[in-house]
Parts: sequence; C-alpha cells; structure tokens
Amino acid sequence: MAAGLALIAVVSACGATSSQPVKDTIAVVAAENQYGDVAAQIGGKDVSVTSVESNPNTDPHTYEVSPSIAQQVGAALVVIQNGVGYDNYLTRILSASSNPSRRVLNVQHLLGLPDSTPNPHLWYDPTTMPKVANALAADYAALKPVDASYFTANASRFIASLNPWLQALSSFKSRYAGTPVATTEPVADYMLQAAGADNLTPFKFQADIMNGVDPAPQDVSLETSLFTQHKVKVLVYNQQVTDTLTQTFISAAQSAKIPVIGVYETMPTPGYNYQSWMLAEVTSLQKAVADGISTQHL
Amino acid sequence: MPGFLSPLIEPGFFSNLPVQTALVVGGVVAVVSGIVGTFTVMRGQSFAGHSLADIGTAGGSAAFVLGISPLFGFVAMNLMAAGVMEWIGIRRPRGRDLATGIVLGAALGLAALFLYLDTTASSTTGATVNVLFGSIFTLPASMVPFIAIFSVVAAAIVLVMYRPLVLTSISADLAIAQGIRVRLVGIGYLVALALAVSLSAVTIGAILSTALLIGPAATALRITNRTGRAAAIAAGIGVVATWLGVLLAYDSYYWFPNGGGWPVSFFVVTLIFLVYLLSQLRFRGRSAAQRRSTAAQAR
Repeated sequence: MAAGLALIAVVSACGATSSQPVKDTIAVVAAENQYGDVAAQIGGKDVSVTSVESNPNTDPHTYEVSPSIAQQVGAALVVIQNGVGYDNYLTRILSASSNPSRRVLNVQHLLGLPDSTPNPHLWYDPTTMPKVANALAADYAALKPVDASYFTANASRFIASLNPWLQALSSFKSRYAGTPVATTEPVADYMLQAAGADNLTPFKFQADIMNGVDPAPQDVSLETSLFTQHKVKVLVYNQQVTDTLTQTFISAAQSAKIPVIGVYETMPTPGYNYQSWMLAEVTSLQKAVADGISTQHL
Repeated sequence: MPGFLSPLIEPGFFSNLPVQTALVVGGVVAVVSGIVGTFTVMRGQSFAGHSLADIGTAGGSAAFVLGISPLFGFVAMNLMAAGVMEWIGIRRPRGRDLATGIVLGAALGLAALFLYLDTTASSTTGATVNVLFGSIFTLPASMVPFIAIFSVVAAAIVLVMYRPLVLTSISADLAIAQGIRVRLVGIGYLVALALAVSLSAVTIGAILSTALLIGPAATALRITNRTGRAAAIAAGIGVVATWLGVLLAYDSYYWFPNGGGWPVSFFVVTLIFLVYLLSQLRFRGRSAAQRRSTAAQAR
C-alpha cells in the first residue's frame, strides 16, 4: 500500500514537470454514443464525455456537423472515432483545429483494419471494445498519470462486464449455429457472425441500403424470396434506417410469420449502456429463433 | 421468351416483381408525360415544366420528413406551385420566366431544408437519391393504384379540353377571338402538367422528369405537326425508352465497375436524348417547313 502511494506520488511528480497534466476532468468527444459510453465507464470521475451522435432516430452515416460540435472537438483532449469512413466529418474537424496535446483514438486504426473494410459497424464485433477500453485507459493515464491505476481497474472491470453478452453469444452459437437470417443492412453483421448465424442477404444488397442507393431488382426479388419461401428464421433490420423499401421487407417477413428484430446503429438511450445494449440484442435474436418472438424496439 | 432474345434479356426479367411494377408504372407514366409534354412544347412552356419538376423536390423531401410516400409530396407541392405560378403570371409570355424562376428558387430553398431534416432528424438515408433520381425498382406495389388514378386524371383533363387546349396552345389570340376561356384552359393544363411531372418524378426522379416530359414530345413534334399524332408518337417514344431503360438497368447487373446495376433513370434519359438527336438528323429539313406552317397557323 505504502509502495503504491509512493509510486503514484512519483508518477504525479514526473507529470508535473512534463507537458501539463490535467488537473481536473478530461474533456472527451466520441463520434458515436456507444464509444462515448465506454469512454465514460473507463474515465469515471475524471472525464466529461460528449457524444456527437446519440439520436437513435437518425442515420449516423449521413450526419451533418453543427458549429457547436466543432467547438467541442476543438476543446477536447481525447477524441474517439470509429473510422472506416463512418465519421469522416470528425476527421475534417480534427484537421481544422490542431491541438498537440489532444489524443485521437481511431478504432479502425486501433484494430489495424484497412480503409477498404466493407462493414464499418466495428462495435458489434465482440473483440473490439476490450481493445478500445485498454487504449482509452492508456490515453487517460498519459493525460492524468495520477489516476493511471484507477483507469486500468475501470478497464478491467468493463472487460469483465462484457461476459454475460459473450456467454449469450456462445450459448446461441452452440444451440443455433447455422441459423439462416436475412438483414437489411450490415449493422449487426459482426455480431451475427459471432453468433454463428448464416446471413443469406447478399452483402451488396446490404451495402446498397446502407449507402442509400437503390438496390438492383435482382437483389430486391432475392431478398423478398427469403421471406416468401421461408428460407430464413428471422429478419434483422436496422431500426434507425427505415424507408418504404425496408418496410416492404418487414411486412413480407411478418406476413410469412417470420420474426423481425430491430438492431441499432447507435446506443439506444436512455436505459442502456454498451454491455446491456449488446446483451439485449442477442436476447432479441435468441427469442426470435427459439420462440418466434419479434422485438422491433429495445 | 423466344430463344433469340436470351442474349439481350437477362434471365428472370419478366418474372421479377420489381421489374413488373416498373414496366407497368413506367409505361403509364410515359404515356401521360408524352401527351402532356406535347402541349408543353407547343405552348413554349418547357421552362415551366422543368421548373415544376424541380419544385417537386421540396414536396418529395417533405414527404420523407412526414413518413409518407414521395408521390403525394410531389403531387401536393406541384399543384400548389402550379397555382402560385398561374397566380403571379405564367400567362404573360414576358413575365412568365420570371414568375417561374421565383417560385423555383423558393421551392429549392425548401427542398434544401427538408433534405437536411431528412438526414439529421429522421431515418431516411436514401431520401436525396430517391427524390432527385427516382427509385422505380423500389416502388411498393401498393402505390400502383394511386399512380393509375393520377395518370387517368391528368390524361382526362387533356382529353376533355382537347380542342380548346390545341387552339390556345397554337395561338391565344385566336382562341380568345373564338370565345374560349383561355385562363381556365391554362389552369386545367397546369394541373395536368403538375400531375405528369409528379408521376415521372417517382419513376426517373424529380430533376430528370423534365426529360420524359419534353424529350419525346419535342421529337414527336419534329416528326409531325398534327397535335394528336404528335402526342401519340411522344407517348410511344416515352414508353419504349422507359421499357428499354428498365431492361438495360436489369441487364447491367454484372456490368462495370462492381456489379449491382446502373440506374434506370440514366438509361431512360440517355435513350430519349439519342432519339431526339436522330430526329434532328432525319427531320432537319422538315422542321423548318413545320415552323413556317405553325407560324402561318398562328397568324
């Protein structure tokens, strides 16, 4: 104990002499509120987090920036973005307002993924957030060395709290691996993969809907046949992006008595943190496949 | 399907539900656009027709905010705009472009607002592309009856007032001398025009719908100077261009650069343009004669 205190004292002494350590709270801006949530869980009392995108009714891909966001990013010491073209607006703001002591955590770069990665919804991959948590703890510790062990402990606690979700995924996989599913967008594809589901919707079709371009008639009728011919057990659609076309597929699934579940691009609020949100989505999938129950809203 | 057609038509074309809807809707809309467009060209109101189509973008994008089908937005906005244009003076050839331009500017401002709201406040990724360039393959089958109703109304207006419409389109002075209520005919025509551009906005998009309105009609009026025959030819050119466009879009599934097909509106508009160019070459001499005869008629 005494040694620990001494260590902290030394670290803080070092910090005091190098580039100004943060005295009070670290301003953090996260592009999407799921990263903001994790940033707050790791930073705890030492951070104040702003998430740019937290409206579950809008499509993050087409987000347009307001001047107040640019101001907040300019003042932030830690900025988290997803990358893979998902939040390019943030890259533009960052290059417009340089700040040598600011730390930018780009999740795509953290995971070592190329720009050509087809599916940008990285937070649905169960291996992503543990790495984000550790990287955040390191960034915070560099800015506020006095609380380094606090951040590390928070990161370990966060990673441990992912277990119920991971267990739900592996239990689904052991019982229902190979379950055929249809999707409208690649939002939850990484999670469906981890759950061992077989996504029968062609990726090109999912990408067309994601990018807001009209899919080819061949793909539309293929997707329709997944429901009319009962080739899938569940339709997983993007709850945040619905238009007449996706509504058509939802109706087709419903009239074929195929359960429908809505997944979210950004964390639904209030009432959820990242862990409970991910767990809720696997639970929806489980209920759909096991009991034929639809869950359109979390 | 006869065997010799198989290299031209990708398998599954006729059994594909989105294609069937596109062929029916595209065909109906092309007929209405051809008929109404013939009068648009004769009346020299191409700019008004194009502007009405652009003005429709405000209605189409507002429909996304409200969560209703863009068709209703196009129709409501275009009817309103036609009313305003008539009110502030589309009848006078001199102030007409000005009146049209002012309404157009105001409407595009609204479209900018609604498209912004679509992307920031509601969940509609595809709104911009859908409104501007159309989405004929994603039209729900439930919209077909509404498209049919609007089409019948637009065609009926033109047929009911066919003779006075022809007369006022050739010469307003002559029509007045014959006791025709020129303004009433003009209003009826504007309603038909508003419906026609709304319908084609749904198939090939708001900013391209003018191509379907003007292109076939302009070509037809080069081939013949008889109004009824021109309207029929225009409708025919529109239908062939739309159907071929749908076929090419379907066939383009495996084309450059990454598969998935090229947009229908590109093919339709390009085909209409090519037909117009051909008619320019073929009927160049004739059109000069036609212009003289139209001028003679006008006097």
